[in-house]
Amino acid sequence: MSTPGTLYWEDFTPGEVVEIGRHTFTEEEIIAFAVQFDPQPFHTDPVAARGTFYGGLIASGWHTCAVGMRLMVQSYIGRAASAGSPGVENIRWLGPVRPGDTIAYRRVILETRPSGSRPGMGLVRSRSEALNQHGETVMTMEGWGMFRRRPAP
Amino acid sequence: MDPLEFDFYWEDFPVGQMRAMGRHRFTEEEIVAFARQYDRQRFHLDAESARDTLFGGLIASGWHTCVVAMRGMCDAYLSRSACLGSPGLDSLKWLKPVRPGDEIAFRAKVLESRPSSSKPELGLTKFLWDAVNDAGEQVLAMEGWQLFARREPGADPSGQ
Repeated sequence: MSTPGTLYWEDFTPGEVVEIGRHTFTEEEIIAFAVQFDPQPFHTDPVAARGTFYGGLIASGWHTCAVGMRLMVQSYIGRAASAGSPGVENIRWLGPVRPGDTIAYRRVILETRPSGSRPGMGLVRSRSEALNQHGETVMTMEGWGMFRRRPAP
Repeated sequence: MDPLEFDFYWEDFPVGQMRAMGRHRFTEEEIVAFARQYDRQRFHLDAESARDTLFGGLIASGWHTCVVAMRGMCDAYLSRSACLGSPGLDSLKWLKPVRPGDEIAFRAKVLESRPSSSKPELGLTKFLWDAVNDAGEQVLAMEGWQLFARREPGADPSGQ
């Protein structure tokens, strides 16, 4: 029996655009993330960052990814019959994310197909995009998500 | 850029080079802490309720494995290199789950290397970064590019 309110594989339609949410990156959280996971001077030290290629502090690209993941779970994965992801392709960090930038995430469903190896599952391929407050795209990626198919009534 | 400032420049990553990037044992506590912040799915958050999911127990967020790899990379070479960041990754595969107690070994292999066509002071290097568990299974494989300053800007790497 299907659970009311749950999103199953059948609920994802190619062409559908999902607004995932937005997040303002503070200097404090950019540094906290980078000190733990990506300690390069342009991610951890606002003064040293001035003398680098980027001319100032920028968020780790992984931080931009992780915040996107959090927002996706809040937006729809948390109420979907999600079975994880085999991976993503073509992660492009196209522009820096700086302290105070508000990043809006959205996801475009590209294709869906039933799983060949797992009968109760389906795959959804989508493209994620992150745009800053100036409308510039700062990150894109494409990935597969696996979801359970809607059980027969 | 001071030529003596860094241990590693673009020239120091020849094709075929392999480098260990450390090992990390994932604890239940840190798997749950990362997931609470960035990936609140049942199979990442709680050992009890993860049991009746597809994964049969708690597994680390794939992004968690990636950022621990990133940290290993910084400690192994990146922090001592003239790296100017990365334009992105061509592929990222989560091949097997990482479970509490798993000790994961991270490593880097240089796949391609070329000077920047537009900036003679820079070079690009393509790496395979992967992660292997105690059973010798590959759990993560990523291919992507890093940009480095060159030790000798504009020099012809073929020596011609």
